[in-house]
Amino acid sequence: MLSVIRGGRVVDPTASRDAVGDVWIEDGRVIEAPGREPDRVIDAAGCVVMAGGVEVHSHIAGGNVITSRLLLPELYVSEAAPEGHPFAHAGGAAAWIGSTYARMGYTTAVEPAMPPTHALGTQLELADIPLLDRGALTVMGNDDQLLQLLRDGVGKAAVRDLVALNVATSRGLGVKCINAGGASAFKDGALKLSLDDEIPCYGLSTRRIMGSLLDAVEEIGVPHPLHVHCNNLGLPGADDSFMATLDAAEGRRIHFAHAQFYAYGETDDGKGFRSAAERIARAIGDNPQATLDIGQVVFGQTVTVSLDILRQFAGRKGANPKKWVLNAGDAEGGGVVPFLYRPKGPTSSLQWAIGLEIMLLSPDPERTILTTDHPNGGPFTQYPRIIHLLMDRSEREREIATLPGIVGERSGLPGIEREYTLSEIAQLTRSGPAKLLGLADRGHLRPGARADVAVYRDDPNRTAMFTAAKLVLKDGTPIVEDGEVVEWRAGRTLSLTVESDRAMEKRTDSYLTDRFGTGLDSFTVPDEAFDAPTFEAVPCRA
Amino acid sequence: MPAWVKGAATDIDAAIAAAADLLGAARMPVIAGLNAEVSAIRAAFDLAGRVGASLDTDGAAGTYAELGALSRVGAMTSTPAEAVGRADAVLVLGSAPAKSEILGRIAAGAPTRGRAAGAARAILALDGANEGGVLPALARLRAHFRGHLADESPTAVLASKLAAAQYVVVLYDPAEIGEMGVETVQGLVTDLNDRTRAFSLAVSGGHRNQDRAVVPVSAWTTGQAPRVGLGRKVPEHDPWRFDAARQVAAGEADAALWLSSLPAPRPDWLGQVPSVALVGEASPDAAEVVIAVGVPGRDVGGVLWNETRGALTYWPAQAGGSAPADRPTAAAVLGMLTDRLAARSGTAC
Repeated sequence: MLSVIRGGRVVDPTASRDAVGDVWIEDGRVIEAPGREPDRVIDAAGCVVMAGGVEVHSHIAGGNVITSRLLLPELYVSEAAPEGHPFAHAGGAAAWIGSTYARMGYTTAVEPAMPPTHALGTQLELADIPLLDRGALTVMGNDDQLLQLLRDGVGKAAVRDLVALNVATSRGLGVKCINAGGASAFKDGALKLSLDDEIPCYGLSTRRIMGSLLDAVEEIGVPHPLHVHCNNLGLPGADDSFMATLDAAEGRRIHFAHAQFYAYGETDDGKGFRSAAERIARAIGDNPQATLDIGQVVFGQTVTVSLDILRQFAGRKGANPKKWVLNAGDAEGGGVVPFLYRPKGPTSSLQWAIGLEIMLLSPDPERTILTTDHPNGGPFTQYPRIIHLLMDRSEREREIATLPGIVGERSGLPGIEREYTLSEIAQLTRSGPAKLLGLADRGHLRPGARADVAVYRDDPNRTAMFTAAKLVLKDGTPIVEDGEVVEWRAGRTLSLTVESDRAMEKRTDSYLTDRFGTGLDSFTVPDEAFDAPTFEAVPCRA
Repeated sequence: MPAWVKGAATDIDAAIAAAADLLGAARMPVIAGLNAEVSAIRAAFDLAGRVGASLDTDGAAGTYAELGALSRVGAMTSTPAEAVGRADAVLVLGSAPAKSEILGRIAAGAPTRGRAAGAARAILALDGANEGGVLPALARLRAHFRGHLADESPTAVLASKLAAAQYVVVLYDPAEIGEMGVETVQGLVTDLNDRTRAFSLAVSGGHRNQDRAVVPVSAWTTGQAPRVGLGRKVPEHDPWRFDAARQVAAGEADAALWLSSLPAPRPDWLGQVPSVALVGEASPDAAEVVIAVGVPGRDVGGVLWNETRGALTYWPAQAGGSAPADRPTAAAVLGMLTDRLAARSGTAC
């Protein structure tokens, strides 16, 4: 079927396009104007037309997410389900995640923390998120098998083969490391870890583990750069960890997860933190090989979920309500700690300001991507509000006026005049994340793009505008109309095509059998485990 | 393929039609057992969501003790492989863990990874035989850690052994020690972590534990742990209210679907309401409508809870076994049943 979205303001920064025009769609793809009469005309007059949103870092599946639901079942509100899906309004459930993202105009979302030992459970859960295309990043950096290889100095090829095998077995889209070595160190008694501290029992450091993973990712040709969660998240002086990690990457591609939580410069008295947003933004400007996502904080109750058990153990005493789960897992494990970002609290207000400040100081919005590190900084449902604050200085000033003076004393936010344009918002939420993931078929509206399209009513109230899209197409099919889901279709899970080395398979099978009592077979994610075809192959970089 | 209605053999279509009649006429159906592969559990939740049923699991006592404590105080946990690889002190609570496969693996070795590698492994027991039960013994042990008790008792010796260890694992069966016991274990482990590393590890003392697979499916499907009721079109987690046995005994439930593609004894209450059984080991009188389905990991492939790994893993059908080839999967039968009920409600509207 030939369709045209007619007369909307088409915003596609990758084509320097921001003007009223048409978008033509056929067979699930954007095409050039074909010179034929369309079968369907979608009137977008008065609307803004963008590519579907792409999420790079949102905890939407996996063991920690499940534990968070069990620990804090009251976090989300459930409402009676609409027709068409019995669980669409079940707060926090997979169908709710899919439909809430879709209503906001997002069409792709990536779970950033899939432990290879629990890949099947994570992938089954992801597959139950409707409407969106999904993907997951395979987490490495604390597992004994990898650390042994590094300790034994077996060489780059073996490390590359082990990383490739883990990605292939878990069917990941990329590779992430989380406080590399930190979980291992925690199990051996450490309570703090910096880049060059020794990981007990292995004689390694975060620098060495991360460096080997950076190399492996490049050698395999993973399109997404290594996704790095640095040491010392959330501590005053974490900006030094961020900068040291950037230096340690030595010019290799690197993505920094939830950078807001590292933009905390230590105050002169050493007792608190002040915004280091300028330092972080400048570093991104100076390093075109580096990207970050924000991890914006929003006010209210949430539950933090992280495989950084060292950090979560340290944070357990700040749990609100006072209960938490820490799982010392087979490699990372995880920590689930409920947390309240106190509305108008000084600390949370400063955190809120710092995230916005990084984005507003960003020299390149395509490389400073909007996330809340859902649910760690707050729920992804707050994106429309965050976009509003970025686009509207007076709205920002109104909010700042309600907050404690620390926002002006320790951050530069109140003095920033910049207002994001729609093109910049598209960079922040579409083209940037799609490029970062190496998904050339989305994040833009050029011919050949997947017809994942969001149409919004152009409303000065950007919160309202981006909360409920007027129309969302997934692969050319309308899935949302006037903010409501109209077709419950399943998306695909994007999975990297990686060749694994036979010798490493054999070696790993033997290792796993010895350690777990079952071999490589029990770690796989076979097609047969899914009720319907689920995976779509993404090639490695040439 | 084997299917029966009121004890008489029939074909699958007739059996599904009868099951749809039975469930479609109910005001408060329950779907229980869920002793099945993940695809069947998913299908059961979908069916429940569409007909407004509640869901309960087989072997639930341990799971609910665990979930209750988790939602109230949280937990610090480890995994089977971590316990085997790292623990230099393993505290075995009560008698049930002795029946678990993991204790054999733990007892057969010593730590090989982490800071305790090369050390001997102490297997310590706390059965409460002389202290009025496991729970009082556990409470006493915790009191020693917190400095509330000071004496020369064996419990005091045990407390100091645990505090001196480098990686402690407390092994327990939640079904044996109950919710209060699990809470006390978590308190003990939390206290221990002020001095060393210590974690809990729940095991099933030889009983069925496929409900460990139901927990994540329920959580991601409904946002809530089981037991869950969907009668009001909103998922409601309430372990007491949606206990199928209680619902039937109280006269609240007026129909039941028993799902057990893995072998499990039929509950006594099943005969007290009109019922459908989807079972791997079928007998004509198991329920009013009985449909034999493939046993996962034997007749059909399926994702099951793997206690050795503490994870969901895929089990292929066994090749060349004596498996009946004509058995549908439980998920396929549930899907057909859901479609048939949906078609009816469509026409009714």
